[in-house]
Amino acid sequence: MNYTASKKRSYLSFVLPAFVIYIGVIIFPVIFSCALSFVDWKGYGPMKFVGLGNYARMFADPVFFIGLRNNILIVLISVFGQIPLGMLLAYMLHRKMVRHADFFEVLIFLPITMSAVIVAQLWNRIFSPVGILPSFVRLVTGNQDFVMKIFENQTFAFVPIMFVLLWQHTSLYMVIFLANLQRIPNSVIEAARLEGASEGTIFLKIITPMLGGVIFINSILAISGSFKSFDLIYSMTGGGPAHYTEVIAMYMYNTTFVYQNYGYGSALSIIIIVFIVASILLTRLVTRPMGQD
Amino acid sequence: MEKTSKLIAAPVAWRAVAYVLMIAFVVLTIFPLFWLGYSSLKPHAEIIQHPMALPRSPSFDNYVNAWTEGKLDLAMMNSFIYTTVATVSTLFLALAASFGVTKFPYKSRKFFIGAFSLGLMITMHAVIVPLFLVEVKLHLVNTRIGVIIPFIAFNLPMSILIGVSYVRGIPDAIIESAEIDGAKYRWIFWRIIFPLCTPVVATIVILAFLQHWNEFLFVFVFTTKAAMKSLPVAITQFAGRLNFEYGLQYASLVIGILPMIIFYIIFHAQLIKGFGEGSLKE
Repeated sequence: MNYTASKKRSYLSFVLPAFVIYIGVIIFPVIFSCALSFVDWKGYGPMKFVGLGNYARMFADPVFFIGLRNNILIVLISVFGQIPLGMLLAYMLHRKMVRHADFFEVLIFLPITMSAVIVAQLWNRIFSPVGILPSFVRLVTGNQDFVMKIFENQTFAFVPIMFVLLWQHTSLYMVIFLANLQRIPNSVIEAARLEGASEGTIFLKIITPMLGGVIFINSILAISGSFKSFDLIYSMTGGGPAHYTEVIAMYMYNTTFVYQNYGYGSALSIIIIVFIVASILLTRLVTRPMGQD
Repeated sequence: MEKTSKLIAAPVAWRAVAYVLMIAFVVLTIFPLFWLGYSSLKPHAEIIQHPMALPRSPSFDNYVNAWTEGKLDLAMMNSFIYTTVATVSTLFLALAASFGVTKFPYKSRKFFIGAFSLGLMITMHAVIVPLFLVEVKLHLVNTRIGVIIPFIAFNLPMSILIGVSYVRGIPDAIIESAEIDGAKYRWIFWRIIFPLCTPVVATIVILAFLQHWNEFLFVFVFTTKAAMKSLPVAITQFAGRLNFEYGLQYASLVIGILPMIIFYIIFHAQLIKGFGEGSLKE
């Protein structure tokens, strides 16, 4: 009896330290956030209970919808840009379509190691009037006044951000697909080739379905990643001009820490979690026919 | 083998597209970094007049000035402290928890595994507001511990999942025989489990190190003093808003990128393996 009690104590001594930190820093604040989302509070003074008022306010808030639109754009560039492109690159590397495949793999993966805020500053310098890109365009076209105006364009200001996201994160998916491709026996591809299947058929009809589960995991990564995309955008545009490049996480940050509206900020952070959980459930539903488990 | 691989070689059109795509990605990575690197050796005026040209007389003045004006020595030291302490703590906490939830016969272990996997879905933005309020209350704002604990917490779910999938594969017989010999569980963990986990220790450490080094939001929100800033935060503030000297901006960006490039040159194989295997969880 004594023995089992001490075994249980050992068990808890292994699990609880991690669990306490996890609960204290992640789960408890989420519950706290939930509670705060029902009040109106400036960070000091009295709290006023407003029920679902903060959530109702969201649906009448144009900035919230700009943020939502941009978050959806990030999901789209991930799901229709980074993931297919990463899969294609992985397949090409796996099939040794280029010489020195390792060299390409290592260099393509390099941007992943850089901090998003520094990547943002780097590309801002590249796009700036004295950056390499406009200078190059000036040299080629002879138009001495060329500068990039896309950042001031309401509709397209978000495009450079999507480009940088594509540049930095495609290789993450590439590496994940590559690890999974290496577990598919070579004989699968060889047999298909011998029977006269074209490379395109192998890629689309044989390999893609076999990677269904991985595509699902990557989509989850992409969706939750999209709501984490604070660092890059904060550093690159700060959400401007005039909220054109706002995302929900950044709007939440500004609402809370700049405008001191803790209730509304908390409601926005709860919505982020709701979106993540909902889109993961939705992805599960959609990808189930693709042979997941 | 040679013959077969020749037989199944990809068609020329595919190979051509492959080269175009790969080279495009590589050029887009190498060229901006190369341009940033040589531009950082030029003075401000030369950058404005000849944005593309190589430096006429390369000089490290920008680096010296950025280093002192941006207080990057402090930031570099803070980054090392935050990253090292958080990574080592994450490793031990995650492996201990992995051992607990895989090798002990209690029902609650399923609950713990479920709870930790839930953490993968929660982003730090969802907790930053209440966490900040708690840190204010506990006087943890502007302290190192106030940064390190959230760092650890947000890395635990992933590290535990990697740890669990590995520790699960260690045969129970090894642990049982140690139990019969009367070994304490603490001893079993340190002397048996931990040494057997070497491959997964490398994966957890490298992934955690990368995440902690590049982490921005927690340091940004929980610290206001320059003495507490990490490298990404200090550089964003120095290069982003306060400064119109291009040379200094470029130099500070290189200082921000260089440690990670060195890290990558040393660990790229493990890093690629770690990210790839992170997805192999069946």
